[in-house]
Amino acid sequence: MTQYIIRRIFWAIPVLFMVILVTFVMARALPGGPFDFAGDRSLPESVRKNLARKYNLDDPLAVQFAKYMADVLRGDLGPSFRSRSQTVNDILAQSFPISFQLGILSIILGLLIGIPAGVVAAINHNGFLDYFSSFIAILGVSIPNIVLGPFLIWLVGLKLGWLPVARWGADYTEFYFGIIPPLTSVDFWTHAILPTITIGTGLSAGIARLTRASLLQVIREDYIRTARAKGLPSWAVIFIHALKNALIPVVTILGPMFAAVVTGSFVVEQIFGLPGMGRHFVQSVTNRDYPVVLGASLVYAVLLVLANLFVDIAYAFLDPRIRYD
Amino acid sequence: MRTHYRTYLVMAVLVVAALVLTACPAQQPAAPAEPQVVEVTRIVEGTPEVVVVTATPEPGMMEEEKVTVNYNWGTEPPTADPALATDTTSSALIGSIFMGLTDLDDETQEAVPALATSWESNEDKTVWTFKLRDDIPWVVYNPATGETEVVTDDEGNPRMVNAHDVVYGVKRTLDPNTASDYAYILYYIAGGEELNNADPAAENFQELYDATGVEALDDYTVQFTLKVPASFFPQIASMSQTFPMPQWVIEEKGDRWIEPGFIATNGPYVMTEWIHGDHLTLEKNENWPLWGTDYAPSNIERLEGVMIEEVSTAFALYESNELDTSGVPLEQIDRVKADPVLSQEFVNAPINCTYYYGFIMEKAPTNDVRVRKALSAGIDRKTLVEQVTKGGQIPANTFTNPLNFGSPAGDPEVAPWALPEDMGGTGYAAAVEMGKGLLEEAGFPNGSGLDVLLMHNVSEGHARIAQAVQAMWQSAYPEMNVTIETQEWRVYLKTIDKDSPLEDQPNVFRLGWCADYPHANNWVHEVFNTNAGANRVRMSEDDPQVGELVKEFNETTVKAQVASEEDAKALYKRAEQLLVDEIVAIAPIYYYTTVNVTKPWLQRTYDPIKLHLYKWQLDWEAKKAAMQ
Repeated sequence: MTQYIIRRIFWAIPVLFMVILVTFVMARALPGGPFDFAGDRSLPESVRKNLARKYNLDDPLAVQFAKYMADVLRGDLGPSFRSRSQTVNDILAQSFPISFQLGILSIILGLLIGIPAGVVAAINHNGFLDYFSSFIAILGVSIPNIVLGPFLIWLVGLKLGWLPVARWGADYTEFYFGIIPPLTSVDFWTHAILPTITIGTGLSAGIARLTRASLLQVIREDYIRTARAKGLPSWAVIFIHALKNALIPVVTILGPMFAAVVTGSFVVEQIFGLPGMGRHFVQSVTNRDYPVVLGASLVYAVLLVLANLFVDIAYAFLDPRIRYD
Repeated sequence: MRTHYRTYLVMAVLVVAALVLTACPAQQPAAPAEPQVVEVTRIVEGTPEVVVVTATPEPGMMEEEKVTVNYNWGTEPPTADPALATDTTSSALIGSIFMGLTDLDDETQEAVPALATSWESNEDKTVWTFKLRDDIPWVVYNPATGETEVVTDDEGNPRMVNAHDVVYGVKRTLDPNTASDYAYILYYIAGGEELNNADPAAENFQELYDATGVEALDDYTVQFTLKVPASFFPQIASMSQTFPMPQWVIEEKGDRWIEPGFIATNGPYVMTEWIHGDHLTLEKNENWPLWGTDYAPSNIERLEGVMIEEVSTAFALYESNELDTSGVPLEQIDRVKADPVLSQEFVNAPINCTYYYGFIMEKAPTNDVRVRKALSAGIDRKTLVEQVTKGGQIPANTFTNPLNFGSPAGDPEVAPWALPEDMGGTGYAAAVEMGKGLLEEAGFPNGSGLDVLLMHNVSEGHARIAQAVQAMWQSAYPEMNVTIETQEWRVYLKTIDKDSPLEDQPNVFRLGWCADYPHANNWVHEVFNTNAGANRVRMSEDDPQVGELVKEFNETTVKAQVASEEDAKALYKRAEQLLVDEIVAIAPIYYYTTVNVTKPWLQRTYDPIKLHLYKWQLDWEAKKAAMQ
């Protein structure tokens, strides 16, 4: 097992290198550079030259890439072109924790709703509860965040006045280890509820459908019949024997879902005015802020690699037949 | 039982392990009450250096009640560095914490005294001398104590802002090492362009630096020598690129000098907290001597500014009393106007920008002046602002926005066909008749055979306008064919650049222009003079139809730079007639406005360029009563 993990981590190195290389080339292949324009105005040649010199953009591409790789290996992701006093490290350290906190809460909510809903639907296969939960799940998948978010703001925030309409309840100066929110803060929780529901319900719909489908397959297996035959109560058959196997596909999607969700959603962050990481993916491309494009992509890639590794390790626990030696 | 327990444990471990393993380089948790010292290692020019920063939440301060305005900056300000600011958010911030040589009058947009109490020029407007106040100290906010401290010199005396700070600021903007986007605004200064263009490693660099046309005649007198005469220089002196800057801080702290706790400023407010991407707080600078005068009558002691980009979110915060003033999203304008309460809080304020369509003058069929004029006349500006944009925009017949010196906006002697009848123009019906005649002359009767490509950058608002214009053209000239294309912003700017291949370019492109300083020179000369501006329309003195007029246009905008005020106004009017009615390089569409709502307890200014927070008034008791 340990060997397997080491091998996987070793393999991650060329993967990440390729991610950086491809992103680097693609970002620069986009027409228009970071310093061609300030607003609507095109900048004079002399000004562009000064900016290019300051940010080493006048070097050949290969040299720029080598310099960038050398910096990355030292943990320095470079300066931001848009926020000139900030580095990419600063920007990610400030914005990632917020997306991460929201992402984790959303996944937890997604699992809390999705798995029980899927189980209930599967047990009542073709019954009322099955159709009802399928209906809700389809609704959850098909209502986009851009509709649900503003609706929640309008209903819960403005009309009922129960929760704050926008913003995050804590900022990066208040995070423990730079990432864990002040969990005892009421402000934190009240601000987190609406965006968590917005993202979490969408996730739960997918999880519920997957759990249901997978569980339906599993409960037709011979060992489940055996379990029933030996007189186990129905709940024990489902929760002790069936669900464990049925969760394998759920765990599989949890990996990529985790990486995608904790790196933030542009739409939800804009709607709720959250200073998360999602906006940097979009705006850095618009601004041709190459170091931010690269830094954000790298974080995403690292998380994806790690999450998939955890998923593979989790298989071994869920299904004893899977061995990695 | 054991295995089933393990299943759920795995799920939990997955989540928790991911949480721990992906944790970023740890920042210290900020203890809620006690001040604490945080050691931050940062790299300054390659050498690691340990800086001791004291981070203090200020529990005691919270009880002390400050008259606070809740504001939305709209986005994270890209910078607080006066030399680097190019956008309105940064400028609003910088204008609140720094004080420049001149300021702009809210109403007239003329330069008024600020740090400079008076100024004068020589006869031909090439040498400008500014007399400075001697009572404005540099201050630094101390996060450890929550106090704003006056910077002192070696002898312990307050360090006043002086002419040397201005000279340093101007030269720093022009210094190629600073790499300021906006350095070119100061190319009017003698030697400015040469300095900005120089290689910092060159041997004569110091010479160029010293030769730049700005010097301190004494501690409180600064003199600018210009390359060309510029009657508008006092307005340029209101731009942050000419502000005094604290050399000692900048040299010690490098790019991070603008963070609260480091930055030394000389304005009405100090920046006390800047949580990047989230909020930025200003507090009154009690050491600033102008409080309570007509210049700064405000009673506002604190500004809490969030950075909400989405207007509908900001508006929701406004409705829940978390913002005192906000923009209004387009889809809410009708509701706001109909609502008995909100309609009272609604303000339509002009901003110094013009929305226009440019014609690529080298590309058929817009290489024909008659076609261009017919297209411009075919836009029903009044209907467009009333039915499509809906934000109270004003139909435009000139490029220069009315808020600028020298703008003939609304004057029916400039392109009267662009103005509706109630604004003194000939109205749309007459304009279309004129357009039909022109097209017939040009060989496109009723628009037959006329194929026009209209391009704009991707945006819902621009798309609505383009579709409306397309419909107007096609109903005015039924047989013409209009194609609309869109491109992503940076790709678009590249496409419509003067140096892009003609075959990639459209016939008509949309752009806006906002004033850097409120003077027609910043518009007609700096944008369209073929020897000075970006000239995206590819206007040329060699044009077979309008070459002579282009020549006259170029001469007119240069002549206006030296002319007396009265003559300059006449010249700018002539330039607009040429640009809009005779050469028809552009079709001005409307002058921008902002749509705002402001709570009844806040009286704010709507200066088109500056924030002028120090002129606002807040009825604190009324605000507190409303919050309960």
